[in-house]
Amino acid sequence: MSKAIFVDTTTCTACRGCQIACKQWHGLPAEQTTNRGTFENPADLSFNTYKIVRMREEVIDGKLNWLFFPEQCRHCLEPPCRDIAQDESSIFRDERTGAVIFTANSKSLNAQEITEACPYNIPRAGEDGTLAKCDLCNDRVENGLLPACVQTCPTGAMSFGDLEEMRDKAKKRLEVVKQKYPKAMLLDADDVSVIYLVAYEPKYYHEFAVASRSTGYDMTRKMALRKMFRPLANIMSSLT
Amino acid sequence: MTNHWIDLRNSDVLLAMGSNPAENHPISFKYITQAQLNGATLISVDPRFTKTSSKADMYVPLRSGTDIAFLGGMIKYILDNKLYDVEYVANYTNAPFILGKDFGFKDGLFSGYDKAKRSYDSKKWAFEMDANGVPKMDRTLKDKRCVLSLLKKHYERYTTKLVSKITGTSEADLVKVYKAYGATGAKGKAGTSMYAMGWTQHTVGVQNIRTMAMIQLLLGNMGIAGGGVNAMRGESNVQGSTDHCLLWHILPGYLKIPSAADDSLDTYLTKNTPVSKDPLSANWWQNYPKYTVSLLKSFFGDKAQKENGFGFNWLPKVDNGKDYSWLSLFDEMYKGAFKGFFAWGMNPACSGANSNKTRAAMTKLDWMVNVNLFDNETGSFWRGPGMNPKDIKTEVFMLPACVSYEKEGSISNSGRWMQWRYPGPKRLGNSLPDGDMIVELGLKIKELYAKEGGVFPEPILNLKWDYMTHHEFDPHKAAKEINGYFLKDVTIKDTTYKAGTLVPSFAMLQADGSTSSANWLYCASYTEKGNMAARRGQEDAVNKIGLYPEYAWCWPVNRRIIYNRASVDLKGNPRDEKRWVIKWTGDKWIGDVPDGGWPPLQNADGTPNPASKHPFIMRKHGHGQIFGPGLKDGPFPEHYEPTECPVEKNFMSKQFVSPVAPVYGSDKDEIATCDPRFPYIGTTYRVVEHWQTGLMTRPQPWLMELQPQMFVEMSEELAKLKGIKTGERIRVSSARGSVDCVAMVTKRFKPFKIAGNTVHEVGVPWHFGWRWPESGAEESANLLTPAAGDPNTRIPESKAFMCNVSKI
Amino acid sequence: MNVTRREFIQITGATAAGLAVSGIGFGLSPVKSHAQMLKTKYAKQTTTICCYCAVGCGAIVHTNKETGRAINVEGDPDHVINRGSLCAKGASLFQLAENKNRLTEPMYRAPYSDKWQKVSWDWAIEEIAKRVKKTRDAGFTLKNDKGQMVNRTTAMASCGSAAMDNEECWIYQALMRALGLVYIEHQARI
Repeated sequence: MSKAIFVDTTTCTACRGCQIACKQWHGLPAEQTTNRGTFENPADLSFNTYKIVRMREEVIDGKLNWLFFPEQCRHCLEPPCRDIAQDESSIFRDERTGAVIFTANSKSLNAQEITEACPYNIPRAGEDGTLAKCDLCNDRVENGLLPACVQTCPTGAMSFGDLEEMRDKAKKRLEVVKQKYPKAMLLDADDVSVIYLVAYEPKYYHEFAVASRSTGYDMTRKMALRKMFRPLANIMSSLT
Repeated sequence: MTNHWIDLRNSDVLLAMGSNPAENHPISFKYITQAQLNGATLISVDPRFTKTSSKADMYVPLRSGTDIAFLGGMIKYILDNKLYDVEYVANYTNAPFILGKDFGFKDGLFSGYDKAKRSYDSKKWAFEMDANGVPKMDRTLKDKRCVLSLLKKHYERYTTKLVSKITGTSEADLVKVYKAYGATGAKGKAGTSMYAMGWTQHTVGVQNIRTMAMIQLLLGNMGIAGGGVNAMRGESNVQGSTDHCLLWHILPGYLKIPSAADDSLDTYLTKNTPVSKDPLSANWWQNYPKYTVSLLKSFFGDKAQKENGFGFNWLPKVDNGKDYSWLSLFDEMYKGAFKGFFAWGMNPACSGANSNKTRAAMTKLDWMVNVNLFDNETGSFWRGPGMNPKDIKTEVFMLPACVSYEKEGSISNSGRWMQWRYPGPKRLGNSLPDGDMIVELGLKIKELYAKEGGVFPEPILNLKWDYMTHHEFDPHKAAKEINGYFLKDVTIKDTTYKAGTLVPSFAMLQADGSTSSANWLYCASYTEKGNMAARRGQEDAVNKIGLYPEYAWCWPVNRRIIYNRASVDLKGNPRDEKRWVIKWTGDKWIGDVPDGGWPPLQNADGTPNPASKHPFIMRKHGHGQIFGPGLKDGPFPEHYEPTECPVEKNFMSKQFVSPVAPVYGSDKDEIATCDPRFPYIGTTYRVVEHWQTGLMTRPQPWLMELQPQMFVEMSEELAKLKGIKTGERIRVSSARGSVDCVAMVTKRFKPFKIAGNTVHEVGVPWHFGWRWPESGAEESANLLTPAAGDPNTRIPESKAFMCNVSKI
Repeated sequence: MNVTRREFIQITGATAAGLAVSGIGFGLSPVKSHAQMLKTKYAKQTTTICCYCAVGCGAIVHTNKETGRAINVEGDPDHVINRGSLCAKGASLFQLAENKNRLTEPMYRAPYSDKWQKVSWDWAIEEIAKRVKKTRDAGFTLKNDKGQMVNRTTAMASCGSAAMDNEECWIYQALMRALGLVYIEHQARI
C-alpha cells in the first residue's frame, strides 16, 4: 500500500512551517526575494523550493476569504513526468511509498518537456539542468517518520498515511466541510497521492490547483493528461 | 494565561481580540482548530482581516483603540439580556459589594480626580464596611449602591448605536458578537478570551483587559476549562522573566519594590501585607512576610539575619510616586541621566516606541553593554542611520551569547509551564551562556569591591553568589535556590524537614529565616523528588481535559487552571459536568490542584461551611473584582480616545483622552492628534515569519526569504485615493519619524465609517531594522510610534497612532 | 532527558529500511534526499523548547557527534503541546544556531571609533566590572532629597531579558539589585 498526504486547506493558517521544514530537512538554501505586495514568497517553485503556500484574497458570494494552498508535487499514481521521461534511472515511483523521485540522472532529460508534462507545473531545473521537486521526504517515510511538512503542520491541515486511509479521511472530511461550503471538493483524488480539499472552486486557489481545470497546455502536456486522466466530467465522480 | 494552550480545545466560543494567534502563536491553532472541529465558534475582532480572521466563524472589524467601547457594549448587552450567571456573580464576584457614598462618575471622570496632578484619589472608590470590617454585601444584587447596580448604570451609555459610531463596527456585527459570546454565560458553556499586545499597547491597555475580565466574571467563565482571560505572551520566557521580576516595580514573585518610605523590613511588610477580617477570605497575600524573608535569604544567604532585617536595607529603594519604567528610563537617558547601560538580550533601538528618541538617548551614554546572538541596531547604534561615529563617545561592549539549545536551563511559557531545556551543539565560537557572563561579571565586581572597597559595598559583598560548578554557571544550583531550601530543621505539623533539603511547597515557607526561596511562586518546581520542569509524563489527569499534570511543571504548585475553585457550585459540584476541572468528593478535591484545599462553601445539605474560603484567594476579600478599585484610571473601564486619534472629540463623554495617562515632554515627543498632516490611523503588528524586532529572525536566510522587507498594508480605497500601487515602495510618516515600506494593497483592510466620516487605517510590522537585512534599507515601525503610555503599566501606545502615507 | 520509546523509534528506528531507495538497483542518487538520508542516524539527540513565542513548543535537536554542531531540529512528537508541529520560526531553529551571521567573539567599540575590535572575555569582563564600579561609586545615592535612606544608583540602567532562562533571569536581577539599580526593565513592558 503506497502512502498519501491529505491537505485540508480549510484548516491551513499559512503559518508556512511546512515551507521552512521542507528546506530544513532537505538542506535547501534560501532564495533572494523581494516583497511583491503580498505575503506569498518566493514567487514560484524552484530547484531550491519544493513547497509554497499560495495565498489569495477572494471575495466569494460577497464574503472576503484569504485562501491558503500549500502547493507541492502531487506524487501522481501514474506520473506523467515519469512516463514522458521513460528513464527509470532519472524519474521513478517508489511503489512502496508512492513517492515520485527525481534522481541526479534527470540532468540528462529535457527539463522543459518534463515540466510541461506535469499537470501541476511542479518540476524545476537547476542551473545544470538537473530536475528537483518534493520527494515526499521518502527517506523519512522509509524510516517510519512523517514527511517534514506533515509533521510540522500545527493544525492538522496536512495528514499522512496509507493511500486508502487518506482517501477515506478526505471523503469524510469533505462531507463535513460541505455543510458549510457547499462547493467544497477534493482535487483529482483518484489519481494523486497528495489529495487537496478546497472549500471553493479550485480556480480561486492557484492556477495549477487542479489538473483538469488548468488551461494553456501545449501538446506535450495535453498528451500526458489524456493518458493520465479520465474524461473531465468524471474526474471527481468517485469521491464527491 | 489563567488557563493554558491545550485548554483552548475545551472552549465553546473563542474570542481572539487584541491578538492574531494564527500568526503570532501559531501552535495555539492546533487547539483552536480542535475546538472548531468540535463545534466551537471562533470570533476574530481586528482592524484588519488577519490569518486568524480567515479561519474565524465570525470576523468583525473595529477601529484601533476602541476596544473598551466595543466590550462595554457587550457588558450592557449581557446585563440587558440577563445572560450573566447569577449564582456565580452573586457568590464569587464583588458584584454584591456596596459602594461608599464617595464613589461617583460624571462627564467621563470618576470621583476623586485631581486635575493638577492628573491623578485620582482611589480612597473615594472604597466599599462600605460592616462593624466587623468586612465589605457590606447584598447577595440578592438589588441594592442600588451594589457593584452590579452601578455597573448597569455605568454601561447604560454604551448603546450599540453609540458604540458603532465610535468603533466603526456595524450595529449588526456588534450584536452578532455580543449574542454569540454572551451565550457562554449559560451553564455548561465556556468562552475564552485570547489577547495579546493588541490590547496592552494602548493608553487604556490595562482597562482593555479588565473589561474582558469583568465579562468573564459576569459569564462565569473564570476558573473553568475552556475559559479564562488568556494573555498570549510573545516571548518564550517573558512569563518567567516577569515572574522573576526584571521590572522596576516588583521583586521576584510579584513582591513590591521597596520604597523610600519603607525604612525597615517591618514597615515594608506591614504596608504590603493585606489584612482581611472576613473568616471566609483566604487572603493569600497574608503570607507576604514568609515570601519576602525567604527571598532575602536567597539574596544574601547567611548574611541575612533577623538582626539586620534580613538585609532588607541592602536592597535599593525607589522614591514614592516616581516612575522608573521603560518610557521614563529612555526619557532620563535622553536627558543624559545615565552613564552606563546594559542592553542584555534586548534590542531597544527598535523595540521601544519612538525609536528615534531611544537611539538619540544612547549617544549620551558613557558605556553600554550589549549581549546578543547577532550584531544589532542597539549595539551598533553609533553607526546607524543619521549617526556619525566621530561624534559619539559611547564605549560599547558587545558580548556573544550562545543560542538557547547550546545551554541548559528552564523557561516558562504563557500557560505558566516551566520547561527544562538541554544543551545540544557545543557553543559556537567563543559565545557563552548568559548565565556564565552574569556570574563572571558578578565575581569580578565582588573581587573589585573586596580589594578596593567602595561606596556601600555590603549588598555586593554579601550577595549570595554560589551558582557555579567547575567554573561554569550551573543552572541546577540556581533552579534549586529559586525553589528554596530549609536552612534549619523545621517541623511543620508532624513532619520534620531537614536543614539543607529542598522545600516541597510554598505552604512550608517561613518568615523567621528558616527557609530560603528566591521566588515563592516557583517553590515546588525543584524538590527532593527532582527537577519537576524536566518531566515528560504523557498521562492526562482524571478529568481528561488536557491538563497533563506530569508533563513539565507549572506555577503555582502545578495548578494548570487558576481560580479553579470558581469552576464548582457552592457545594463543590462542577458547574460543567462534561469538562470538569475539580470536584469535591466529600472529603477532598480531585482533578486539577485546587486553589486551596478548603472544603466547598456549603455542606451537602446546603448549610454554610465555616471552614471554607471564597474562591478568589489572591484577592483580599476573596471575590473576583467586577469593581476594581486598585487601578490608576478608575474602577470601571471607560472609553477614551488614543493619545493620537482621528476624531475631534470622544463621543462617549466630555473627557477626550485618558485623564491620567503619562505625558513626556522632550523635543522628540511630538504628538499630532486630528492633525491634517497625519490623517490615517496607524497600527503595528507581527507576522508569523518574524519575531519581535526581528533580531532572531532577520539574520536568518530562510525566514528572510518568506518576509524580506518592511511593508505597509492599506485598503484598496486608500491606495486609490493616494495613487499607490501594490508592491511600490512608499513612505509612512508620523510626527516622530518616517519609514520606507513596500505597499501591500489589500482587501483585508477596509475604511471605517466613524461618526459619518470615512477613516482609513494602515498597518506595519515592527520586525525590521537597518542592521539586517544587510541592504540597510529596512527600518523599524517604532520610528513612528508615540511614547505615550498606560497610566498603570506605562506600556507604550504602539497600536493606535496617526500617520500619513505618501509616494516617494 | 527522558526520551520515550516512541520518540526513539520515530527518530532513529527502522534505519535499515532507509537504504531501500538506494537499494532499488539503479545506482540512484536522488538529487537532495540522498545526501540527507539518515542524516540523524548517528546524531546526539536533545530536547529543547522553542525560543520564539510563548506557546512553549518542544523540539528535538540532532547534533553531529564529531563536529558538535546541529544537523537537524524538528518538532518533538512527544511534546504534549505541539505534538511535533512547529511554525515557520520554530521550523527554522536550526538556522538560528548554524548561522554565519552570529557573534562568536566579544567585541569592543572605543569612544569615537568607527569600528569594532575583537577582544578577549577576560578583558571584556574586567573592563565592564571597572566601569560598573566607577559609575556606581560616583553615582550612588544613600539618601534622597527628603533625607530618606534609598541606597541606590540612578547612574546606570538595565534592559533585558525575556530571552534568558529563568535561572539566568534570577541571578541577573539579583546582581543588578545588589548593585543598587532601580531602572531595571525588560520586554514585558513593551
